[in-house]
Formats: sequence, C-alpha cells, structure tokens
Amino acid sequence: MKRTTLYIVFALAFVCQSFCSFAQTKTAEYKLPGYEKFVLSNGLTVYLMEQHEVPVIHVAAIIPAGAIYDGSQAGLASLTATALKHGTKNYTKTKLEEELDFVGATLNTQATKEYASLSAGFATKDQTRVLPLIKEVLVNPTFDAAEFEKEKKRMLTNLERAKESPRSVMGSYWAAFLYKDHVYANPVTGKVSTVGQLQVADVQKFYQANYIPNGSAIAIVGDFKAKDMKAQISKLFADWKKGTSAQKNLAASVVTAPTGNNVLLINKEDARETTFYIGGVGIKRDNPDYVAIEVVNTVFGGRFTSWLNDELRVNSGLTYGASSRFLPLKNAGTFYISTFTANKTTEPTIDKALEVLNRLHTTGIDETTLQSAKNYVKGQYLPDYETAGQLAGLLTEMFWYGFNESFINSFQTNVDQLTTAKAKEIVAKYFPKDKLQFVLVGKAEEIKKIAEKYGPVTEKQIKADGF
Amino acid sequence: MKQFFIVPALLCCLSVLAQNKADDVKTFTLTNGMKFLVVEDNSIPNANMYLLYRVGARNEHPGITGLSHFFEHMMFNGSKKYGPKEFDRTMEFNGGANNAYTTENVTVYTDWFPSSALEKIFDLEADRIASLTIDPKMVESERGVVLSERSTGLENSPWRMLGEAVNATAFQEHPYHWPVIGYEEDIKNWTKEDLEYYFKTYYAPNNCVVVISGNVKTDEVKRLAQKYMEPIPAQKAADPVHLVEPPQTGERRVTVQKQVATPYMLIGYHTPEARHKDFYALSILSSVLSKGNSSRLYSTLVDKKQLVSNVFTDYSESFDPTLFQIYVVAAKDAKEADIESAIYEEIEKIKKEGITEKELQKIKNQKLMEFYGQIETINGKSNNLGTYELFFGDYKKMFEAPAEYNKVTLDDIKRVANEYFKKSNRTVGVLKANVED
Repeated sequence: MKRTTLYIVFALAFVCQSFCSFAQTKTAEYKLPGYEKFVLSNGLTVYLMEQHEVPVIHVAAIIPAGAIYDGSQAGLASLTATALKHGTKNYTKTKLEEELDFVGATLNTQATKEYASLSAGFATKDQTRVLPLIKEVLVNPTFDAAEFEKEKKRMLTNLERAKESPRSVMGSYWAAFLYKDHVYANPVTGKVSTVGQLQVADVQKFYQANYIPNGSAIAIVGDFKAKDMKAQISKLFADWKKGTSAQKNLAASVVTAPTGNNVLLINKEDARETTFYIGGVGIKRDNPDYVAIEVVNTVFGGRFTSWLNDELRVNSGLTYGASSRFLPLKNAGTFYISTFTANKTTEPTIDKALEVLNRLHTTGIDETTLQSAKNYVKGQYLPDYETAGQLAGLLTEMFWYGFNESFINSFQTNVDQLTTAKAKEIVAKYFPKDKLQFVLVGKAEEIKKIAEKYGPVTEKQIKADGF
Repeated sequence: MKQFFIVPALLCCLSVLAQNKADDVKTFTLTNGMKFLVVEDNSIPNANMYLLYRVGARNEHPGITGLSHFFEHMMFNGSKKYGPKEFDRTMEFNGGANNAYTTENVTVYTDWFPSSALEKIFDLEADRIASLTIDPKMVESERGVVLSERSTGLENSPWRMLGEAVNATAFQEHPYHWPVIGYEEDIKNWTKEDLEYYFKTYYAPNNCVVVISGNVKTDEVKRLAQKYMEPIPAQKAADPVHLVEPPQTGERRVTVQKQVATPYMLIGYHTPEARHKDFYALSILSSVLSKGNSSRLYSTLVDKKQLVSNVFTDYSESFDPTLFQIYVVAAKDAKEADIESAIYEEIEKIKKEGITEKELQKIKNQKLMEFYGQIETINGKSNNLGTYELFFGDYKKMFEAPAEYNKVTLDDIKRVANEYFKKSNRTVGVLKANVED
C-alpha cells in the first residue's frame, strides 16, 4: 500500500446525492436528499429516506448507552450491546442468526464511548422478515446466561490479544491519559479485571436503565415507499416502553486541561518500532469552526502531501505514514499527531513532528496551500455519503450531535469562506502549541531516556491490566 | 435441484439486473493495447480511475523480491512533466486523492476525484507511464519508507508473520513463496537497473486495464485517452511466469514464535486459480465454513465447543493455483490439537455428507447481497469490473457471477471438498509464544 489507513481525513457528516452539481470555484448547490422525520409517542425519533438505486434497505439506530455509563464496570456498555443478539423473546440466538444469515442480511450491534448503535442491511424483498428481527433485538432481548458467559470469555481473550498490536490500543491509552477522571477516559473495550467480574444481571440492569426510546433514534434508508415504511415502523416500535427517569449526561462535566508536558511510556518488550501520539485538548463536535478546523488540519496532517507526512515520510523516510486528527465528541475532544518509526529513529522522528507543529504556528499557511486544501476537502467528502448505509449512519449522527441538513448544505460555503487570516486564527486557537501530551508504545529499555526529554514520564507495562 | 420458494423471484431479478448493468459498461482499446472500461454514473459529481497492471510478486525472483511493491511507491516519485512530489500535489490541488496496492498478482493505482478534474488526472497518469524518473536519491529515501511499512505490518499483526511462513512452506517452487513486501535484504539491495527493467517491461500500456466510473461521458473519456495515452508506445509482452508448483505429496507444518496471548493457526490447502471451473464451488464452500454466525466453523468451534475466539476463511481470485486458507485464534486454555481436529471433523462431515439444500440457498442469497454491495458505489464498480477483467478474463463475468453461483449444486460442493481438502494437500502453520515445549 502506498499509505496506511491512518489517513482518516474526514469524519465529517456531509452528504450529496444524485442531483448535486459540482463546481470547484463557485458555491455549488449541495442538498441532502429529502427525508422524513417524526417522533413516536414513546419518544423514539424516526428518519426515513428513499433511495432506489439498489434494491436494498439499511437501518441505523443510535441509543444513549455508551461506555460513559459504565461506572466502575468498564466494558459493560460494550458487552450489553453485543449481548442484544444473544436471543430475544421470540428467537433463540441460533434461530436469530439462521434467519438473518439465510437471507444474506447483516445486523451488528456495538457500543462506542458515547452511545450504542445498531446497523443492518438487507434486500428490499426481505423487509417484512428482517425488520421484526431488528425490533426484537432492540426491544425484547433476553440476555441468555450461557451465551453471556461464552461472550465474556471471548471478550477477555480479545482484550489480551489487542495488547499485541500497539495500533489497536493507542486510542484507549490516549483517552485515559488525556481525560483522566472524566467519563471520556472510560475504555469502550473494558479491561480484564472488570470484564471478568461482569454478570448477566449487570447487563440486564444496564439495558433497563439506558436502552430507552426517548433519547434514541432509528434511520431507515433505501428502496422502499416512505408511506408504507412509516406505517410499518410506527406499528413495530409502538410497544417499546418509554423510559421514566431522565438520563443524566455524565459527560457534561469539565475536562481538566493539562498544565504542562507529560509523557506516558508503555513498555512493550518485543517492540520493533515505537508507535506514538502527540497532542492535547481538541474541540467539541458542535464547534462553529468545525469545517475550518478540518481544512487547516488537512494542510497539517490530513492528507498525503500534508506537512507532517511530507516531512516524516517523503523527505526523510522515517516512517510509512504520519498524520494528525481532531477527535471530537459531544462534550469535549482531543487532537493528536500520530506516527510510528523504528526503535533507533524514535528521537529524530518525535523531534521532526514537533518541528512541523512549530512551523504551523510560526510560519502559517500560504494562499496556494490553503486553496489546495479547500479543493481537496470539497472534492473528497462526497463519496463518504454515497450508499444507503452511509446515509442512515449520517441521519443518526445528525440526531446525536444536533445538527441538520442546513449545516450539510452549507458545507461548500463554509469551506470557501476560509481565508488565510482566518486560518491563522484557527491555528492559534485550536492547535496545541505547548503543554503537549505524549503517549509512546515501544521498548522502554531503548527509548526511556529519549522520552524523558519531553516531560515527566509515567511508565506502564503493556501487559498490565487496563490502560 | 429442489429450491426454496424465493428462488424463482431471485433468479428473475438477477437476470434483469445483469442485463441492464452489463450493458452499462462501455469499452474500447487504444492502438497501443491499453483497454478502457467506462461506467457512466452520475449519482455523485465524482469519478474514479483504476489502473490495473498485470504485475505483482509472482513476476519477481529471489534477489528482487518486493520490487513490484517498491515500484508502486516509485510511481509517485516524479516523472518528466511532474517532478518529485508534483504528482500528489497537483492531484490534491485539483480535489483528487489517490492510493495504490500491490498483491502477488497485480499492481493497482486508484484515483478519486471531482469529475471536473478528469483531464488533469489523465495528464498525471500519462506522464508517469510515459516517462517516469528513477532518481537514485528518491530510491534511497523510499527504501526507508518501505522498511517501515514492512516493520509496522509485522509489529501490528501476527497474521502477517504467520501468513508469510505458511506461503513459504506451501509454495516451494512457485513465486507465491515469497511475501509481497519482499525480503528485508532485497529491499536494501535492488538496483536502479532492476527498476528500469521493471518499468519498461510491466508498465507498458498493453499490460494495463483502465476502469473509470462516475460522472463522466464515454466520448470524453475516449477523447482524453486518445490524446494522453495513445502516444505511449506498446512494448513486447513480458515473459509469462513459467514456474508451476508441483503437487504437494504430504502434510507440511511450520511453527513461528511471537509474544502472543493465545496461539494463532492458519491451515492452507492448495486450490485452483480464478479461471478454473471449481472456483465458484470453492468460494461457496468458504462461505459455508465461515460466513456469519450460523456458518459451520463459527457455530461449532466458537459457539458450541468454545475452542477458538475467532475464525475466518479466505479463497480469493488469483492467476495461478493458490491456497484456500482457514484462520483461527485459540481460546484461552484450548489445546491446539483439539482445535485442529475439530476443524478437520467439520471438513470430513462435508466430504462425507455434503451440505444441505438450505445451506446452499443461504450462500446464494448472501452472494446476491454481496453483489448489491459491490455495485452500490462507483468505487465498488471500478474495483470489481477491473478484478473480473483481469482474473476472469472478461468484465462481463462480474454480471454472470450470481448466475454462476446459482449453477453450483450440492454434488459440486461435496466433490470439491473431497478433491482439495486432503491431509496431504495441506500446510498447517502455528504462531505462539512458547515454541520450546
């Protein structure tokens, strides 16, 4: 591969469909395809969008049941989301799987830090068969005790396995190091010590408290008639009981900002390379400068010719890829530079990354580079919202983060309005300059001295429990 | 063959769909032998260009292993009109992005762009195919990038290490023996002459298929292709790969050490290439074994017996005979021998009793959904059309695939299981922390 999957340039939720027209210099009329939104009497928000290109239907649901509600039971939200498929009032786990597999349908449930989600895809002709199964999973799970024990055992093995790959655990270490005692520090996957203690009753309790229709949304996109679908969905989900107590937003508390540089060094005895993040405080998802920040980050570390990748990969051959990204959540966010390099080139690579960050602050972005980034961002976001599945995901994100199509439809204008002067303000305001946080996974014996150069070092063993 | 009630409806839909879609692909070939496939699709104002070259690790030999992949990197390092860094800079300035990948069989370049940038993309691609610069300084710096790519793969995935060991054991003469990324010492040592030979031989227009999907007009694509690509001269066809892997005559085993929590196991059976008549039956067999939680290996090994935490199988398109691979990760405290015999038990069941009609129908339904997924995006269209054109010899086979799967019978499945899943035909690889006991 020419580059790694680290280049997740755009997590933005924008969309364009069949009737868009594209012009590079003028503001084009991007419109999200029409959709219908309504709320059932139990509080469940429903989105319907017709898309007839392929005879399939995609469903996405979002439920306020993420890892922020884990409390001291890390991994509880994740295990609950997975256990939704362990059998329902009318279907055993085996029967449910057979039904879905037979028609080639997919149905996945998972938890993220903030919410739980469901996504499903099936052929239009199978809708009356599959939609009731989706309802069963969301509304009538039975949490079979034997299946729960099996799942727990698999989860424990996977937790240990994840530590074999720095890339798969960097995010959890980073969140724990940056968010400290805030609920955003909670590792979605949990940890061996807590997952081992979980009981099926914990999952049932978590489900009762958090899987409530008021506060949840379901989006259905694909080849159907909205009128028929509306009747079908309204009937199916009518008996999902409304939650009585309002859910507390545990993530609303303030995140403590770092007061100086700090380094977390995670020792991995057999590491052949050092994997690291450098960064600090980021932004919330509803930041009004969100689009402008993404354009500036495109210049810094969001594409192949970005300054980071150009310097660390193209000019010096120190790494296969270097990038940066903002990771915004509903109530807070982080920013980080991310790359990896051979043990012996750890120091020059970190130094060069810091040099590039410094250059962003001191030199600023010239007109041509900014224009290039704007063109790039405008040219690349459309294919992210091409399919029914992508559109269903977008609608539930709109629900969760509280934006709507007007934000999407003005995306192009927002990008076009960014000037070099504004870009300079964006850099100063949002890109960390000092009080930097470092997370390094590597062979401590070889890189500890180097780590100490950048700030006070906390050392952990990768094999130790948790993050 | 007895069928479930949904089948007639399914077949009818399929034929309509296939008819419409196959006709949507327009093709032409330039005088220099470069073939184009074009799909006009205005669902978004974007387009893509996939350039597939018939060159991969199978075209290498010891001393230059990994060169195909390294060359993929060098294609971004400057040519006559667009010097070092200019390819990416120009493409991104015009709103485009790109990537590339190399396999044992092919090297594929992918450009994604607003369709207004189509001509610029042609200019960029033509310049590097016509007159690539192989600058020794860039070669040196790129060696570092590729060594980092090799290292990060090994650091982050045990499968990488185990897969390399199994291929090296199963293939003793055929070039699938070495890894696509190449041997570390070869990466450090190949020469400018090696690169120049490779470019001239394999990056000839007659060794390339171009697929373009999106908001474009075929006439315009043709005009640009004639303007930019047609002047590039054709080259003598490359020598065919003549090495053939001799039949395996006994089970082979290989063990690899890595610090992992529980053992990883990979079992590979020699199986035929994409154009072989058994391809579709084997592909169905792969789904029978591992697609979905109701599949045979998942329901038995993961669910009922709890011997493994993950299982998947892979049987992909290739030019030459390949491996059908079964991957499992051991559950905590499970014995390797128990896992292995549980896998063979499931395979033996299929060899003796075959699979059920319902199972076969399930896989056919799944294949249809996969097909929908492939044609849902412009990238899926280009990627799949290119794959079928190269591996099956004709892009039309993509539209015939659902019908080909429908033709596979219960007897076919039983027959291929017996023919290929033999002890003497398999290679078993185990990766684990403790290899001394």
